[in-house]
Amino acid sequence: MSRKGVGLAAFDRSRLTSAQYATHGNNLRTSHSTSLATQLSVFRSLLQQFAQTHAKDIRSNPTFRAEFARMCSAIGVDPLASSSGAGGKDGGGSFWAQLLGGSVNDFYFELAVRVVEVCGATREENGGLIGVKEVRDRIMSTRPEGSAEITDDDILRAVETLKPLGSSYSTLKVGHKTYIRSVPKELNTDQSAVLEAAQVLGYVSVSMLMVNLRWPRARAATAIDDLVSESMLWVDKQCDEYEYWSPGFMLEVQDEGSLG
Amino acid sequence: MTSNHDPSILSPDRTLPPSNPPSQKTFPFPRDYHFPPYFTRQPTLTTRHAQLQKWSSLILSYCRYHKIWKLSLADAIESDLFWNKKLGKRLSREDAREVLEFMRKEGRSEAVGGKDGSVFWVWWRDPEEWAGLIADWVDDTAQKNTVLTLYELTESEATLSQDFHGMDPDLLQKALSILVKRGKAQVFGQEDQQGVKFF
Repeated sequence: MSRKGVGLAAFDRSRLTSAQYATHGNNLRTSHSTSLATQLSVFRSLLQQFAQTHAKDIRSNPTFRAEFARMCSAIGVDPLASSSGAGGKDGGGSFWAQLLGGSVNDFYFELAVRVVEVCGATREENGGLIGVKEVRDRIMSTRPEGSAEITDDDILRAVETLKPLGSSYSTLKVGHKTYIRSVPKELNTDQSAVLEAAQVLGYVSVSMLMVNLRWPRARAATAIDDLVSESMLWVDKQCDEYEYWSPGFMLEVQDEGSLG
Repeated sequence: MTSNHDPSILSPDRTLPPSNPPSQKTFPFPRDYHFPPYFTRQPTLTTRHAQLQKWSSLILSYCRYHKIWKLSLADAIESDLFWNKKLGKRLSREDAREVLEFMRKEGRSEAVGGKDGSVFWVWWRDPEEWAGLIADWVDDTAQKNTVLTLYELTESEATLSQDFHGMDPDLLQKALSILVKRGKAQVFGQEDQQGVKFF
């Protein structure tokens, strides 16, 4: 049988215990939160110290920068998130802006401006869809010799910084390639499949899609026509069967050329 | 659209655009030049516009490189400018004409002698700019108030380093007439033996 008392005193006792539990819980919570707060402030100052000592590296060394960003995200700190809304009197910029006096932040903002420029300049030829690598190559080619290297990772982070502006810039993964999309346009699955197929050789044709994706002719032709009308494919009519080329391939070819 | 060759995404016998760089002595063609659809008129309007702009800048830099002032359509479509022989792709005469027409609207080309002509001025520098260039050179070399023959101006060793060296005589006339209008030069003499004096 139950060992609990059965008299009226049992009610008092249970009230007492729950009150004790509550106080104890409160105590635990406060001690936890103070210790957490201490840890956090220690961590913050350490991170700050680290970032300040390595500010130059973060700015100039892309691997280092990527690692630092990865470290921040691993511990749940979004270095690019703006804290201006919730921030206190000194919270004017993002986490990094506070830490580094804006230099890293500025780096990404400047890069974002360049990304927007490249996307704008090439929108006519690619329908507003451009590979991250192409963007990087274009930006690198216009930078003076010996300027700091930028990576695909940096480009993606820069695109992230555009988000608060409510802009239409977003990233999109098709096949093994990441694209930056600068027009608010959704690709349907067929169109994505065509673009993915075009990554292999740089082009597709109707019968290639029919053979490889087992599509009926009409489906292949529709998907291709859609992409052509969006400027996302260019047609080459000087061959047996029309070939539809991905404009991103223009840049890749040149790359190989300059390396060779 | 139909064909009976075996299309396969992985077929290895397809040749990709040439990846070896052109030798240093030849004109460095832009990347677009190695992109096969570049030579086909694009059906989509925005793509077409991008294509025309790419062609326009290619023609300008090609002509600048080879110092071509007058581009003959008939000759040009047989040359590597409009015919990528490695790729086996070429721009048709009509398309080439359309590109030049596009350039005309941008103020970068002009038909020589009438609208239906097939020879075009390509203004990688327009007459105004040429006039300025010549005036600057005269200034820099302190040849104001001296008389120069037109032949000296474009063919002598003194102008070898200048962009206007070897300039088309008709264009030279155009440029000089601009300077004459501004009162900066005076042209005199007969057809073959013209001279010019700069002020």
